[in-house]
Amino acid sequence: MGLQANEYSYPWLAEGEVPPLPADRDRIHILTQAVIDPVFDYDIVPLTYTESRWMAYIIRADINAMKAICPEPIEVQDDVIEFWYVIHRNTMLGPYMEFGVTFSATVDDGTGKIYKAGYYPYMYLSNDSAIFAGKEPFGFPKKAAYIAAFEHGNNNNWFNHLMERRGYIIHTANGRYSDKPLSVKPTFYGKTDWGRMNYRMTTRPDVSNTIHEVTYLPSELPPGFGEGHRFQLDPSSVRTANGDDIRSWYLSGTPFDFMGGQIPPTEIVGIISFTFNLIIPGAETIWTKKVERGADFDWGTIMYSKPFEYTMRHRFLLPQYSQG
Amino acid sequence: MPSHLNVPTKYWELTKEVPAPPCVRGDIASWIIANPADPLWDIDVLPLTYTDSRWSAFVVRCDEPTRRRLVPNPPLDLWDGDNADLVEYWYVEHINTMLGPYLEFGVTVSATYKDPKGNVWKGGYYPYMYLTSDAAVDAGRVLGFPKKMSYIRITTHGGEKGTDFFGFAMTRNGYLLHSATGKFDDKQVTPPHFYGKTDWGKFNMKVVTRPDLSSSEWQLTYIASELPEAMQGMIKGHRFKIKPEHTRTASGDAINWFAQGTPFDNMGVEVKIQEITGCISFVFDLVIPPPSVLWTETYERPASYRGYATPYKYGLRQQFPISQGS
Repeated sequence: MGLQANEYSYPWLAEGEVPPLPADRDRIHILTQAVIDPVFDYDIVPLTYTESRWMAYIIRADINAMKAICPEPIEVQDDVIEFWYVIHRNTMLGPYMEFGVTFSATVDDGTGKIYKAGYYPYMYLSNDSAIFAGKEPFGFPKKAAYIAAFEHGNNNNWFNHLMERRGYIIHTANGRYSDKPLSVKPTFYGKTDWGRMNYRMTTRPDVSNTIHEVTYLPSELPPGFGEGHRFQLDPSSVRTANGDDIRSWYLSGTPFDFMGGQIPPTEIVGIISFTFNLIIPGAETIWTKKVERGADFDWGTIMYSKPFEYTMRHRFLLPQYSQG
Repeated sequence: MPSHLNVPTKYWELTKEVPAPPCVRGDIASWIIANPADPLWDIDVLPLTYTDSRWSAFVVRCDEPTRRRLVPNPPLDLWDGDNADLVEYWYVEHINTMLGPYLEFGVTVSATYKDPKGNVWKGGYYPYMYLTSDAAVDAGRVLGFPKKMSYIRITTHGGEKGTDFFGFAMTRNGYLLHSATGKFDDKQVTPPHFYGKTDWGKFNMKVVTRPDLSSSEWQLTYIASELPEAMQGMIKGHRFKIKPEHTRTASGDAINWFAQGTPFDNMGVEVKIQEITGCISFVFDLVIPPPSVLWTETYERPASYRGYATPYKYGLRQQFPISQGS
């Protein structure tokens, strides 16, 4: 007993592999807390991705169900949904798995200017830094989940996807690429006048107000980031399958995750997979609304639970973050 | 024919235990975090209470230069009174909480803040925290807690009482941050100054960055020991209630210990320890109300700001084993 050691060396600093310690920096180089050791740091800027593998199921759903989950000022444009998994191998946030849903949508910024973009109501990731780098500055709606996504077999002909959270399977699907064309693609595919949108909410620590914002990432790179577009697809990497090639599909709503209950597909059109590079620069804010909770606010309206009484949503398997 | 099955269960229509999602509730004042379709946590987290959590705090001695780096000045100052050099280095097993069960780690340093009117606020300041749950990390970060996710293990077992031996460990991105093992010998351990003091609260430093990265606002938040008036009708007294019959202690000689800095987490580099004085372990109930904001300051970045990375060049901090998540 009583054997103790602390290793204080930081050899990576001398070789420039890690940035200066936050306590030794100007505060403009700290993007989030912990201010002594941020969950994502300024060495993720500019945020680039190399040879990520995108595997997108294309589905249709009831457009009224889609509209029902989109807040003002997001306007859904059609019933075609991108339902996608990604393997990120090389990114400024390290490697991680990702899932998301993208609607074709527009926003009127209040001046009559219409922004067109893919809008994300749901996203799941396997890595904490990527979750909070997406959520906090930009408003990406990221949660953590167990995600398995891969291609295998001869010529990587077979694909399989699985996502679970808190003991419930949210989604799984698998099948074989036939390389047949799909009957429909999302409106924003290949359109350089369509960007990406998120609905960001920033609540003050004392909960006295919440600022709602729509953030927008245009397709074209901003000044200083070089020429071209944020998303660079390798056309030689594209594989496809239609609905009949998707051998199995299971999607379910859970007590913790509502996607399967909110937008059940009316048709599974197929899947499109490809390899791509990406840059995510700072986002524009195209719409803002501040909601105040003033002196007359009834706090009882947001105290949904009873103190010290734990119910269905408070009980699940003890989470073990596997990124350890 | 392929099998395609959708189970469109809307649990909030089956049981009141599940609140309807914000987009269904309509009342926008009840929306706390995004996305309104299905937020990471929602109003059923409130009021945020904890029952029978087990806190196991290693008490370590750190000199003033070390503590000065851990506490951001401005606006905070180090506490310079009794036992100022005792820092809490703690693990918690949360069994019943409004955020579900999770494991937690943190460091607490005694600090003070003097506001422009001359009022002095005293509290434990958290430079580091790690948790195993995404929702608990996010709910904490909204209030300013400096939370990251990590893999945490806590075990107490064996011996005459069945809980005499302990093992704690924490890893992230494949590196071990800390491990401690040992045996509760129930010898006297001096706690940090803020233990049991109802005029001491908790400090956090929240950072809110604009979507275009043009600026970041730092917000010093403070949670008082006493519950705010708005909650007194619901819960009486102080936020933190110890159940003393479950308390165990271990002296420094009964603790094996290893800590290190990693390329992803600098705690083992910044928290320089002169002595591991012991461990205090106890069971408690807790309420976390919204904090007050005592101080803010905004730091602007020039339009030319480009961070530290070189596009498409991935180094040490971008390379670690891929995770399938939790």
